[in-house]
Amino acid sequence: MSCHETSTLIPDYFDESLSLQQRSAIEAHLHSCGDCQEALADAKSINVHLRQWQDEAVPQWQRVPAQLRRKAESSRPRFSFWGQWAPLAGAFVMAVAVMFNVQLQIQDNGLTLAFGGTAAIDADTIAAQLEQFEAQQRAAQQQTLQVLSAQIEERQASNNARLLETVIGQFGDSTTRSLEQVMAYFEAQRAEDLQLMQASYQRLADSDFQTIRSMQQLANYVQYQGSQLP
Amino acid sequence: MSSTDQDEALISAALDGSARAWERLVKRYESRVYNFSLRLTGNQTDALDLMQEVFLGVYRNLHRFRGDSQFTTWLFRIAHNKAVDMSRRKYMVTSLSSLAGQEQSDDDVLDHITSDTGEQDPQRLISNSQANAEIIGYLDILNWEQRLVVELKVFQSHTFDEIAQMQDISANTAKTRFYSALKLLKAHMEQRHELS
Repeated sequence: MSCHETSTLIPDYFDESLSLQQRSAIEAHLHSCGDCQEALADAKSINVHLRQWQDEAVPQWQRVPAQLRRKAESSRPRFSFWGQWAPLAGAFVMAVAVMFNVQLQIQDNGLTLAFGGTAAIDADTIAAQLEQFEAQQRAAQQQTLQVLSAQIEERQASNNARLLETVIGQFGDSTTRSLEQVMAYFEAQRAEDLQLMQASYQRLADSDFQTIRSMQQLANYVQYQGSQLP
Repeated sequence: MSSTDQDEALISAALDGSARAWERLVKRYESRVYNFSLRLTGNQTDALDLMQEVFLGVYRNLHRFRGDSQFTTWLFRIAHNKAVDMSRRKYMVTSLSSLAGQEQSDDDVLDHITSDTGEQDPQRLISNSQANAEIIGYLDILNWEQRLVVELKVFQSHTFDEIAQMQDISANTAKTRFYSALKLLKAHMEQRHELS
């Protein structure tokens, strides 16, 4: 290759910024110069060969820089604020509710929010009601016991009297002294039976009262457990 | 909306802190930058590193982009600078590790960006395409400056004036490097054809 213009002509040929006049001059030289024609053919061949490059797929990578990620996150304060503070706020509300014994009641006429004391008052009320119920039960049972004892005593006395009359009628006055002894025995036996019956009835009543006290202890236990909840 | 307008809209949104706009902007150009990096470095690892550095540089300087030139021109100016930075870093590492102690010219400095891969089989580095492996093999015979001019002229279609501006050289110097590269490539191709 002997043409001294080849080294400038070939790059110029690939320079898109050349004017039409400059390009015409190149074409004119190429038309008359075999060396430059050959060099241009080689250059075009190389160019075509290199352009056979097939773009490779981009591997996975972190496109967004850390600075921009932080900036983008900070530009969404509403979401991030609530996302950050909501759990703490919830815990605070729960703590306040436990500390001040807040009670929320849903009633027919709406919601009722109460602070403190209500649970203790309820416990006292329950205890008082149970005591009142126990006293009422005791009084009622005592009254029933007295009436029942009187009826039994009256009926036993009547039966004993009829038995005595029958025995006197059959054996006459000779046996009056012996009968008086029998009568005394009956009376003693009757009194003993009556005491046994009253004792049994009292045990039954005591069992009922024990049930009431158990209920009272259970209510106290439930109230205590409720106050220990966070 | 033209491509330039889309770029400007994405740039504006990214400057306002939109990660999504930035991601879309990157996706528009990452393939070009990655393949640019792959042809310059000759291997995927260095290409990925270079691409990441390029886009990090773009992000950090995005507020300076005034739209006086096309975004791609500005982008590849940064890509060029990052590639030169990488070549110098690699040269320093190579020099320290070899402890050669030999004086080297600036041309030799720029050659070291591909020195790591020059002895490796391009087919192992570029697995997708036989043609790509062959092209990497051709480019590997060029020094760094020649390789960069070929990349900017053949693959990025820049004018010699643009290449000269990027590399802070004259347009004639850029043309000389390009012509030198063509001669080397022609000789190498003829040798390969004769061997095969």
